[in-house]
Amino acid sequence: MNYSSELIKGTLKTIILKLLAGNKKMYGYEITQKVKEITKDKIQITEGALYPTLHALEADGLVTTETEYIGKRVRKYYSLSPAGKATAKEKVKEMASFMQTMALLLDIQPKTA
Amino acid sequence: MYCITDQQMDFILDDLRSKGILLEDLQQNLLDHICVLIEENLSTDGNFEQYYCTVIRSFYKKELSEIEEETRFLLTRPKYLLLLNRNQFFTPLFIIFLGPYITCAILDLTGIWPGDAWVFFTGWLALYSFPTLMVLLLTPDKYDPLIPRNARIMLGGAPIIRILPAS
Repeated sequence: MNYSSELIKGTLKTIILKLLAGNKKMYGYEITQKVKEITKDKIQITEGALYPTLHALEADGLVTTETEYIGKRVRKYYSLSPAGKATAKEKVKEMASFMQTMALLLDIQPKTA
Repeated sequence: MYCITDQQMDFILDDLRSKGILLEDLQQNLLDHICVLIEENLSTDGNFEQYYCTVIRSFYKKELSEIEEETRFLLTRPKYLLLLNRNQFFTPLFIIFLGPYITCAILDLTGIWPGDAWVFFTGWLALYSFPTLMVLLLTPDKYDPLIPRNARIMLGGAPIIRILPAS
């Protein structure tokens, strides 16, 4: 089952910040592939959602960038700034709490192995 | 693995511009993304233009310029001039309230500036503020009356400082 784009859009910032917290630096394509790999293709981040969010995170000072030339083209790597590290922790904490609340609200029982 | 030529990169960039991607940063991001997709998925004797059309079509719902519009929209939201965590927020407060007393006390002790009245005045200020600040600093986030979640300091209706909860 693939999740709807509305659901993913609301969590994209948290996903990107958490991924960058666990990796020193990443570029756009790498982020999409990592998400696909971790979620076994259940979450596929679109380019139309990814790049505006990355630019916004950069403008907000939550990520820093460095560029690398791959032949003629430029590859932009993103990594977390100190403020980004704090925000990543805050976002993950908020998401965990939100998921617990939703489970309660929708009466979803956690699956036991 | 397919190898993209400089001409093909120019072709992609021209196409991105013609489809409304005008932010240079965004052009470079999309160019690299498209190049990686083509290099990883197109066979060496594959049809570049045909595959490029398929790739670029998967980037948007109606028009490619949606990405540019979304980026510009997110970039023009109100921005904070400063992001502070709790410790960074409290440090200046400690300096403001305790700094004058410490300075006066040192000057008085060294005899440079004998001003007992100032030492007492700033001492009273410190006496009241220090315990209060310590209590606030050590209060867990959720009970902190000074820094509610997503606190921000506004100036003239625009947010200038955002204080992050303790990490």
